[in-house]
Amino acid sequence: MNRIKKKILIVDDSELNRSLLADMLSGDFDIIEAENGAVAVDILHEHELEIALILLDIVMPQLDGFGVLSMMNRTGWIKTIPVIMISAETSGTYIDRAYDLGAVDYISRPFDERTVKHRVSCNFAFSMRQKEMTNMLSQQIYQKEKDNSLMIEILSHIVEFRNGESGLHVLHVNVITQMLLERLVQKTSKYGLTAADIKLISTASALHDIGKITIPSEILNKPGRFTPEEFEIMKKHTVDGANMLAAIPFRKNEALIKTGHDICRHHHERYDGKGYPDGLKGDGIPISAQVVSLADVYDALTSKRVYKEAYSPDTAVDMIVRGECGQFNPLLLECLLDIAPRLKTELTVVSLGSHTDDKIHDTVKQILHGEKGTASDRSIQLFERERQKFRFLSDISGEIIFEYTSVPETLQLSEWSAELLGLPVRISDPSENCEWNNIFPAEDFKKFLNDIKRTTPSNPVATAKFILNINGQQKWSKIIAKSLWGDSEAREPDGAIGKIVDVNDETEIMELLEQKAEHDAKTGLLNHNAAKRKIDLIISDAELKGKRYALAVMDLDNFKQANDKYGHLFGDEILNIVAERMKENIRSTDIAARVGGDEFILFMEYKDTLIPQIERIFKSLTVKYKQFDVKVSMGIATTQVCNGGYDELFRIADEVMYEVKRGEKNGYKIYGAK
Amino acid sequence: MTVKECYEQIGGNYCDVMSRLRTDERIARFLGKVAEDKSMELLENSLRVRDMEEAFRAAHTVKGVCMNLSLTDLFVAAEKMTEALRGRAEYGDDLVPLFEELKKQYERTVTGIRALSAE
Repeated sequence: MNRIKKKILIVDDSELNRSLLADMLSGDFDIIEAENGAVAVDILHEHELEIALILLDIVMPQLDGFGVLSMMNRTGWIKTIPVIMISAETSGTYIDRAYDLGAVDYISRPFDERTVKHRVSCNFAFSMRQKEMTNMLSQQIYQKEKDNSLMIEILSHIVEFRNGESGLHVLHVNVITQMLLERLVQKTSKYGLTAADIKLISTASALHDIGKITIPSEILNKPGRFTPEEFEIMKKHTVDGANMLAAIPFRKNEALIKTGHDICRHHHERYDGKGYPDGLKGDGIPISAQVVSLADVYDALTSKRVYKEAYSPDTAVDMIVRGECGQFNPLLLECLLDIAPRLKTELTVVSLGSHTDDKIHDTVKQILHGEKGTASDRSIQLFERERQKFRFLSDISGEIIFEYTSVPETLQLSEWSAELLGLPVRISDPSENCEWNNIFPAEDFKKFLNDIKRTTPSNPVATAKFILNINGQQKWSKIIAKSLWGDSEAREPDGAIGKIVDVNDETEIMELLEQKAEHDAKTGLLNHNAAKRKIDLIISDAELKGKRYALAVMDLDNFKQANDKYGHLFGDEILNIVAERMKENIRSTDIAARVGGDEFILFMEYKDTLIPQIERIFKSLTVKYKQFDVKVSMGIATTQVCNGGYDELFRIADEVMYEVKRGEKNGYKIYGAK
Repeated sequence: MTVKECYEQIGGNYCDVMSRLRTDERIARFLGKVAEDKSMELLENSLRVRDMEEAFRAAHTVKGVCMNLSLTDLFVAAEKMTEALRGRAEYGDDLVPLFEELKKQYERTVTGIRALSAE
């Protein structure tokens, strides 16, 4: 409850009064101020959940304090947000009217700091307690319903498994009972059944055979016909079941137990009075038992049992109507005929698992519905509002928004996204879905799912960049997803929400910048830093791969004279022509770079002998350009001779180059070679 | 001038305001706001254009502020004005002396407050 610092809304048209109150309260609360009632209502719309208490003046322009109270009554805020009136008006009628409209307290001017603080904190604490109680209560109701349904399900499944049934019988009887009853109340009101009764009877229907737990399994699962003695034992399950329920201490009066009791005892009575155990006749048989009895017979006929094959639904209905399987209330037979077509499809949809949750959900919703305006009811409304907001925002954001669930694997797209991509909103098995993989290549999608799997609750966001095919265009896209954990115990997330952002333009610019950053502006060769980085990377696993590399450092001879003699533009031309010649004469795996000034490096792999390679490059570089004889001094170091990284290689090659320069120039020398 | 002296000068109840607002610093700070408050202007303008509803609210605000700061003399004048304006639709000459008295007290109060905050 303490996630957000509690806020107090002060509504008064006098700025001075507001700041006086704010001054007194700001130590314990965050303060929001409104200068009239209309502003206050706007703030309430926006911050409803954060506001813990309101201090409200009466005489104000636009909308006065009574107007605010009326509005709060209309929206239901008055039930959850305590309002203390603050006013110079002390007349009884004003005070009475404020109390009538739901104000909890009245502080008259002049304000006394102790009084204001005390009243605010008392009312605040009181309303907090009230909210906590409401939450606790709805929790308890929820828990109780859950426990009830769970217990019933467990009990009835025990019976079924012992019975060798599929486990679906209870669920089927439940659904058939509910459908029959719903049809019945459309036809007649003579049984006085409410919606709550229908729910109750359907829930209790699960208990109809619990008495079978007392029947020996040899009889229970006997494939052939029962002997008269066996049949007598078998018949006992009705009374036994009823007695079991009647024996539950303390709960005898609970509606569920009572209804369960009736169903257990009487679901083998016959409308003509020839059933067991009590031989009740006609509507002397509780309607709950009549309905469950019919549902039970229908499902038994349409299911496979140890002693029989399954009949088709049509045959089953025929047999029942013809009276081959007992005598039933004619009205109920009509209901059965009416729902028969729907029954065929409904029963195939019903499965284990979801059912209990559905039912609990319904019941809790129903219970909560009865108490209008409670915190829980409001939470549902707020949730719905958040959902609408989210949908709107995701639609206008222009981004593809998705929700991924791992089991069963589904991808849910926002409506806008689905339309953009020309896909359905829901995609099952996206990893295997052709349409989806056309957009997000399967391999990349798998990679991204792996990224999601590796997230942790403390680090739940996965980000990646892939080329996606959006509307026929290959686009760089950034995918950001936050993983979701349904069960806090689970290690791997069970889904994620996220968005896909088009970063194509951004990426192209980045690539351009990267290129620019790595290259020398004058010659278009790599710059020294970029070359060093690349070379270091290659050297670091050269030894592992058993490869040999050479680094050549070269410096143009007489470049300064060329500059002086023919001008800087010509000097630049020379640098460019050397760069061009280097590019032309190296392989794609070699690296050429300008270190600075007229100094260049060349990094290349070699096999057995290095000299022919160097000789060829040297010759191609030292060709006359216009009036200038291009000459270079070149020093070479190899990874074979020099251990250490690029820096060591460069230092040695540079040293050897200077030896050449100091000597005859226009030549090359390899360190360590003769 | 102390806050207490200021209160004596402008006809306020220092003991009362001190017992409620607890510190001189706070009292002085909010007195400063009284001097900046635009309600008196609003009242004067509303009376001139005969907007009686707005005039009532303005007088009411002045009254509330005085109450909070125990500005007794100004409060008495503001209260008379407020009650004369309550539920009233028509302007009348009887309002003139009431407003003059209120304005006199207001100016006295503001002068005193400005003297205090000038220090």
